Amino acid sequence: MLQLHDLSVEFDEGFQLKHINWQIQQHQHWLITGANGAGKSALAAVLAGYGEILAGSTSRLPTTIGWVSFEAQAQLIQAELKKDDADILDVISLGTCVREIIFTNETDPVIAGELIQKFELEYLLERAFRKLSTGETRKVMLIKALSCHADLLILDEPFDGLDQASHTMLQNHLTHVVKHTPVVMVLNRFDEIPDFISHIAYMEDGQLRHQVNREDTQAFNELYQLLHLKTTHLQVPDSDTDNTRPALNPKEPLVKLSNICIKHTDMVLIENLNWCIQPNQHWQLSGPNGSGKTAILSLITGDHPQCYTNDIFVFGFQRGNGESIWQIKQHIGYVSTALQWEYRVGTSLANVIISGFYDSIGLYSKSTDQQKHIANQWLELLGMQGRGDQPFNKLSYGDQRLLLIARAMVKHPPLLILDEPCLGLDDINRQLVLALIEKVCAAKETSVIYVNHHAQDRIAGIDHYLALEKSADNA
Amino acid sequence: MSNNYFNTLPLREQLEQLAKCRFMHMNEFTEGVEALKGKKMVIIGCGAQGLNQGLNLRDSGLDVSYTLRQSAITEKRQSFKNASENGFTVGTYEELIPSADIVLNLTPDKQHSPVVAAVMPLMKQGACLSYSHGFNIVEEGMKVREDLTVIMVAPKCPGSEVRAEYVRGFGVPTLIAVHEDNDPQGHGLALAKAYAVGTGGHKAGVLMSSFIAEVKSDLMGEQTILCGMLQTGSLLCFDKMIEKGMDAGYASKLIQYGWETITEALKYGGVTNMLDRLSNPAKIKAFDLSEELKVIMRPLYNKHQDDIINGTFSATMMADWANDDVNLLGWRAATGETAFEKTPAGDMEISEQEYFDHGILMVAMVKAGVELAFETMTAAGIIADSAYYESLHETPLIANTIARKKLYEMNATISDTAEYGCYLYNHACLPLLADFMKGMDTDVIGRGLASDDNGVDNARLIEVNAALRDHPVEAIGATLRGHMADMKKIV
Ligand SMILES: NC(=O)c1ccc[n+]([C@@H]2O[C@H](COP(=O)([O-])OP(=O)(O)OC[C@H]3O[C@@H](n4cnc5c(N)ncnc54)[C@H](OP(=O)(O)O)[C@@H]3O)[C@@H](O)[C@H]2O)c1
Repeated sequence: MLQLHDLSVEFDEGFQLKHINWQIQQHQHWLITGANGAGKSALAAVLAGYGEILAGSTSRLPTTIGWVSFEAQAQLIQAELKKDDADILDVISLGTCVREIIFTNETDPVIAGELIQKFELEYLLERAFRKLSTGETRKVMLIKALSCHADLLILDEPFDGLDQASHTMLQNHLTHVVKHTPVVMVLNRFDEIPDFISHIAYMEDGQLRHQVNREDTQAFNELYQLLHLKTTHLQVPDSDTDNTRPALNPKEPLVKLSNICIKHTDMVLIENLNWCIQPNQHWQLSGPNGSGKTAILSLITGDHPQCYTNDIFVFGFQRGNGESIWQIKQHIGYVSTALQWEYRVGTSLANVIISGFYDSIGLYSKSTDQQKHIANQWLELLGMQGRGDQPFNKLSYGDQRLLLIARAMVKHPPLLILDEPCLGLDDINRQLVLALIEKVCAAKETSVIYVNHHAQDRIAGIDHYLALEKSADNA
Repeated sequence: MSNNYFNTLPLREQLEQLAKCRFMHMNEFTEGVEALKGKKMVIIGCGAQGLNQGLNLRDSGLDVSYTLRQSAITEKRQSFKNASENGFTVGTYEELIPSADIVLNLTPDKQHSPVVAAVMPLMKQGACLSYSHGFNIVEEGMKVREDLTVIMVAPKCPGSEVRAEYVRGFGVPTLIAVHEDNDPQGHGLALAKAYAVGTGGHKAGVLMSSFIAEVKSDLMGEQTILCGMLQTGSLLCFDKMIEKGMDAGYASKLIQYGWETITEALKYGGVTNMLDRLSNPAKIKAFDLSEELKVIMRPLYNKHQDDIINGTFSATMMADWANDDVNLLGWRAATGETAFEKTPAGDMEISEQEYFDHGILMVAMVKAGVELAFETMTAAGIIADSAYYESLHETPLIANTIARKKLYEMNATISDTAEYGCYLYNHACLPLLADFMKGMDTDVIGRGLASDDNGVDNARLIEVNAALRDHPVEAIGATLRGHMADMKKIV
């Protein structure tokens, strides 16, 4: 039925929706969601015929619409105020009364009467509409929208400003309405999502980024987490105050690689590379496959056997002088696809996070109460609260990646290495991971090395770049 | 020729040495690798143990280099590549041994006598010689120069595991010992502990034992339950399924991956857990079969233990070494020609549970083998902790090697000593079980019990459950597994 085809729309404030492709079939009830400013309400307004179409087309837009939104509410109030101005100055206008606002030609008086009762608005019917409180105007809007026999109901944050009783009442009422009327709802919060919603549209930057059928529980959960990350203020959970690592000298670089050469029997992978990473710098390392990105990182982490034959200074240690790799690793958080492959132990989500305190794959030490508490904070941050006891290997691929980033961050390392953290992830999981990384970069406590193929795939907050080329020997 | 050291001891001391075994507490390792810090560690040989132990020790901050025999260096053999490509210094005995504080002998056991004879004169006064298996000292009676300290640090896992577990931040269970005849400075134990920490072993559990207890239990475990039983069981079960007209690809797959799948259950909850994975009727069936098997095989386990204790086994094997390994090589070739080995696994799907349901006889064989090996070792005076590691604990590790490439892979991974013992066991056990196997059908191997076989007698089930849980290998197993904190029971 209703269809938006490659539609671009501009609104008054210059805000644009771009290339929207969307179909609403019969018996579908959609939720539009996304972070603030993503274009949720704008998309809903397009259905109500608002905005200037720049390109693309619409078909079968509904003729009668029940629309509840801040914009619609503001319009109505605006219109009332205008009436005021237009009045003769010496007559004190009371404005239109609520009864008149509600009962218009389109209104089904029986339904409206019933709703007035349910919302307990009888005592307000004779009052001036513009004297009502926000919650009361909202109720009036709802009554109007629900009693006009609409082809489509657009409910943009309908629960906003409603008291608990009205909220419940409305939800109950809607369960009947949806039997004959399609609903498009805009909500910022997933936890208010009514059961009848069958599909979810996720908006970002004026684009319709994801469309998810609610029955696809995995996609639904991912969307939930994405929204959670995008809409909650990230506070990196506490550090473990009982297990502190030796402090670093803030005047020294975190990492200094000098004249690095990595050789294999028949080829030279890296030659004469110099790289110095100062505290609080964020780096992006890029280069084609086989250019040695991962090899260089493993020199830093101590996982490459040739770290003993190169000039490497890390976290106060000149490598090869009696330090152990655990003394190095305690300063590094590390995530890569390879790590995810290796992390195939039957352990719980909470334990995976806690293992970050010990730099181990699997947990081999008794964790403290504080560590368990911190793990729970991380789970909450990821939108996985209450799931700490679930087995890690049963998680979706994307969730595993998020958890490994939390594991890497849990000890607040001075250096966080993210080696192609989005590799193998679908779009939504990529966005989840990138959202988390941007928050970590913004937190300013950790230097990030972000590795990927594409130098153009940039992350906000990264300001230093090292691009490797494929060495001639192995081209 | 060589002189069996164990046999030179008076009985009282033999018993005392055999019974030497103590699980060490974590807090005995607070010194870390301190005793080896700044000491020159030179490893002879860069094979499975040599390379992997060396990588761990270096990553623990210790100074490690490799010495190889001249031919390995000149020909740039694999051992030379292993060491040099990993950035280690490699040199001849003459170049590296004289400055070594500790020399780690990680060459194959049957080379130990000539190797030690070659390096000993080059070792500096008061240095330390270490082994990862006590065969040379105990069975060949190697006499080491009096000023030298002799210790053993024996990881109870193949070399690849030694490295993999370290990298994960853990380690493998390790047995350490000091040769009391060679501890002139009294610091052997301190060195062995630091070495165990350097390989990560202390995180998984360290047994303080004796050269003698290590050798006699290690030999017993590897030739009976670990390799011998799995090999014999593979051949018998495969032939039975073929005889009963089952698809050869299925039979091959069920066995190749079956051992790994069913013994994985041992890691988490011992024999009890392995049997608990079966339905009640299947559990009772497996239990009854294993009881029968134990009666038939007990004399064989006793004979292996007796031959190991009194030196007959090592004498026979060394005679074969001296005879250019004629028997060993012949048996190896014959194993390669067996029907099981030559039939590739089919590409059908077999679920985890199906391996249990269709492998009741395999479960019974594992249970019988583990319990018999454990019972025989402890009866010979070996402490339960040690007997546990040498039987139940290592079974899944060996089963993994069969899953990779069948018996060939298993025999290639284990030492020549284990391989030799495995063939001895196999050749005695196959005829021993011939009659028993005549009574077997596909309900216990290949197809599983018919679904209408559901009834069980409550009293019998209670009896079986109690018997399983009461076996002494379960009590010690629960304690030792408790030390490995990560072994969360998965449901
Ligand atoms: N495998 C296990 O699961 C395991 C477990 C615990 C303990 N151990 C013990 O660890 C020790 C080593 O076993 P492994 O399995 O690591 O052996 P391996 O893989 O066969 O390696 C033996 C190494 O020694 C070298 N070598 C062989 N003959 C030599 C000779 N005559 N002189 C000098 N070097 C020689 C070989 O190199 P070249 O031939 O190139 O010279 C090779 O690098 C044994 O005592 C064994 O009992 C093994």
